[in-house]
Amino acid sequence: MWIYAYWEPVLIITLIHVIFTAGLYVTALSGQLSLATAAIAGIGAYCAAVLTTNFEWPFVPATVVAIIAGGLVGAFIAAITVKMRDFILKLTTLAFGEAVAVICFNIDYIGGANSFTGIPLFTSIWVALIATGLVLYVAWRFDGSRLGFASRAVRDDPLAASATGVSVLWVRMVTFALGGAIVGAGGSLQAHYVLIINPQELGFFVSLTFIIFLLVGGMQSLWGPVLAAVVLTALPEVTRFANEYRLILYGFVIVLVVLFRQEGMVTRIPTGRGSRLFNSSGTTQKAAE
Amino acid sequence: MSPLLTISDLHVSYKAVPAVAGANLELFPGELRVILGSNGAGKSTIIKSILGLVKPSRGLILFEGEHELTALAPHQIHKLGISWVPEGRQLWGTLTVYDNLRMGGFIEADDAKISQRIGEMLERFPRLAERRNQVAGSLSGGEQQMVALARALVSGPKLILMDEPSLGLAPIVIRDVFELVKEINASGISILMVEQNVRQALKVAKWAYLLEVGRVVENGPSDEIANNESVREIFLGGRH
Amino acid sequence: MDLFLQQLINGVIIGSTYAVVAIGFALVFTVLRVINFAHPEIFMTGMFAGLLAGSHISDNFFVVLIFGAIGAGAVGLTLERFVLRPLRGRDVLMTLIGTLGVAIMLQNGMAKFMSPDPVAYPKSLQVSLLLSDEIILTSTQAVNFIVSILLLAGVSFYVRKTRYGRATRAIAERPDVAAAFGVDVNRVSQVTVALASVMAGIAAVSVGILYGSAWAFVGLFYGLKAFICMLVAGNRYFEGVILVAMMLGVIEALVTGYVSSNFRDVAAFTILICVLYFRPNGLFGSYDT
Repeated sequence: MWIYAYWEPVLIITLIHVIFTAGLYVTALSGQLSLATAAIAGIGAYCAAVLTTNFEWPFVPATVVAIIAGGLVGAFIAAITVKMRDFILKLTTLAFGEAVAVICFNIDYIGGANSFTGIPLFTSIWVALIATGLVLYVAWRFDGSRLGFASRAVRDDPLAASATGVSVLWVRMVTFALGGAIVGAGGSLQAHYVLIINPQELGFFVSLTFIIFLLVGGMQSLWGPVLAAVVLTALPEVTRFANEYRLILYGFVIVLVVLFRQEGMVTRIPTGRGSRLFNSSGTTQKAAE
Repeated sequence: MSPLLTISDLHVSYKAVPAVAGANLELFPGELRVILGSNGAGKSTIIKSILGLVKPSRGLILFEGEHELTALAPHQIHKLGISWVPEGRQLWGTLTVYDNLRMGGFIEADDAKISQRIGEMLERFPRLAERRNQVAGSLSGGEQQMVALARALVSGPKLILMDEPSLGLAPIVIRDVFELVKEINASGISILMVEQNVRQALKVAKWAYLLEVGRVVENGPSDEIANNESVREIFLGGRH
Repeated sequence: MDLFLQQLINGVIIGSTYAVVAIGFALVFTVLRVINFAHPEIFMTGMFAGLLAGSHISDNFFVVLIFGAIGAGAVGLTLERFVLRPLRGRDVLMTLIGTLGVAIMLQNGMAKFMSPDPVAYPKSLQVSLLLSDEIILTSTQAVNFIVSILLLAGVSFYVRKTRYGRATRAIAERPDVAAAFGVDVNRVSQVTVALASVMAGIAAVSVGILYGSAWAFVGLFYGLKAFICMLVAGNRYFEGVILVAMMLGVIEALVTGYVSSNFRDVAAFTILICVLYFRPNGLFGSYDT
C-alpha cells in the first residue's frame, strides 16, 4: 500500500541528490572532476541556514545567497587550479574539501563539532520538485549550448581548444561556478530539510557518493548520472540493510563498479542535437579492445 | 638452414584501427634485414609485437623454430635472446650511463659477470667510458644512441630489433651509427631493423621488406629493392 | 624553548611514522601506477594482527612485531592479486576510488569483527621516561622512532642497492623498456607491495604499543596525511618523501603547541595546495604518468 508520508523523505532526499549530481556533472564537463562537492554544498548550506535561522531571512533570498556563495567558491577553486594537471587538480579539490570540513568543524559560531541546528523547515516536496526541475533544465541547456561544447573541448584537449580561441580558464571558471552554484542551492535545500548541518559530512567521503553516481551513470550525458543518483539513492532506502554491514557492502559496490565499469551504465542517450564532436573521455580507453 | 625468426600472417590493431594487416617476414641467423616504409605503415608495431609489448589479434611469431612469441611475456622473450634498440633511444634518463647498461643486463643475476660485460662495452665505446657516471638524459643524441646500442648488447643477445636508429641524428652521426650496426652484425648477431633512411639501410642490409598500410608490398635482396622502380620513386626521390 | 623542543621531538616521532606509510604509497604508485588508498588499512590490519598475536600467543615484542608484519603482508599480497593488478593502467583517480572502496570494507569489517572503538594493545614494552622532566621522551616513543628509521633505511637500501630496487626506478621511468629488458613487472609489483605492506605492519605495531591501543579507523588519521606527503614530495626521490613527512610531523606538532590542536589537520592540506600551485609535480618532481 502506497503511504505517501512514508516515501516522501526518500523522494526529497533523492531529488536533492539529483541536484548535487547535476552540479557535479556540469563542473565535470570541462574535465575537472571536483571532489569538493560536499564542501561546496556545505558552504551554501551554512550561508543560507545562518541567514534563515539567525537573521530570519525568508527561504528564497537565503538560498540565492547560497547559490552565489557556491558559485564564488567554485570560481575560486577553478582559479587556483588553472595551472594544474588533471590528477593534481582532482587532488587539490579533495584537499580543499577536507580543509573546509575541518575548518567548519572548528568554527563555533556555526555550531562547530555539535553541528548547526535549529534550522527552520522550508523544503517541502513541491520546493524540491521545482528546484530539481529548474536545475535539470539549466544543466540540460548548458550541456547542449556552445559553452557546453566548448567545455567538452577543453576537457578532451585543452591545447587544441585554446588554439581555436577558447579561453580555458574562462570555460573552467564558468563550469565550476555554475556547478558550484547548483550544488550550493542543493546544500540550502538539504539544510532546510534535514534541519542539521554536520561538518563531518562536508568531506571527501560524502563527495565520493556523487562521484560514484557520475561513474556509474557515465559522462556521456546528463541523464546517466541522474538516473544513477535516483537508483542508488532510492534503492538502499527501499531495501533495508542492517546498518553495520551497509558500509562494508558500500565499499564492495565501489570496488565492483570501478573494476567492471570502465565507462558507466548509460553510454548513449540520443539528444537529437546532431553528431557529437568530441567523445567522452571513457570511449577511447574502451575502444582499445 | 632454418630461419631464426618467422612472422606469419601478423595482424595487429590499435584501438580498432588496423596497424598491421597480414605481414609475413623471416630472418636467418646472422642476417641483417630491414623493414622500410613510410610513417604509420606499421613498422614499429611489428617490432613491438615481436617483443610482446603489443598483442596481435592474429598470426604467429616463431623464434628459433620452436618458441611461439605471441604466447610469451616481454621479459620471457628477452630471456630467449632478443634485445631492443627502441625508437628514439628511450634510455632511462635519470639513471647514469653505467646504470642504463646495468639494467640492460638485468637478467644476469651474477654481478661479476655483468661488470665484466659492461667493461667490455665501455672498451668498445670509449666515448661512453668517459661518461659512465653521467646521467643519461644529459648526453647528445649520438651518444645516447651508442648507449642504447650498448644496452642492447650487454645481455649477449642472438637477435637485436632496431627501431629507426637514425632518427633525429645528424648525418655525420648517422654514418657512425650504421658503421657500428655493421660491426655488430659482422660479429654474428642477427639484426632486424626498421628504418626510414633508405639509402643507409639498404647499404648494410642483406634483405629488405617494404611495408605499406600494414602489408608487405615488396621484398627481396637489398640491391634488387634499391633498383626497384616504385621504391626509387617513393623514397629516393624521382626516377633515375 | 622547552615547548619548542618538546614539540620538535613529538613532531619527528610522528613524522617518522608518516614517512613509513608515505613511502609505502610512493613505492606502490611508482611501480604499479596505482594509488593504493587501502594502504593505511593494511597498516591497520598489521596493528590488529600484532594485537591478536599478543593476546593469544605471546606479548613478546618481537613476536607481536612479526605477526604484525605477516598479517599486513598477507592482506597486501591478496589485495595486489585481486584489486591492484587489475587496476594497473587505469586512470589514476579510478585506482584511488577503487582502493578507497577496499579501505571502507576493511575499516568497517575490522570494526565489526573487533570493535569500532579503540582496543587495548599488549604491553610488550616497558614505558620509561628517558629525558628530563621538562622534556618528555618515553622509551616507547624512542623505540617507535628507531623502528621507523630502520625501516626507512631499509627501503633506501632496497631502492638503491638491490636488483629489484633498481628495476623499480626503471619501471617508473619507462615500464615498456624495462619489461623488454627482462624485468618481470608482475613479480616486481608483488615484491613491492609485499615490502610496503610489511613495513606498514611493523610500523603499525610499534605505534600500537606507543599509544597502547589499536583502532579500526586509525587508517583515516595516517592515511590522508601520508598520501599528502607523497604528493608534496613528488615520487622521484624516495628520500624526499621522508623529508617531507618529517617536516609535516614537526609542523603539525608546532601548530598544535603554539596555535591550537584544532588546526593541526589543516596544516597538511594547506601545504599541499600551496606546493602544488607552485610546483604541480611535487617539490622534487615526477609523478611520471
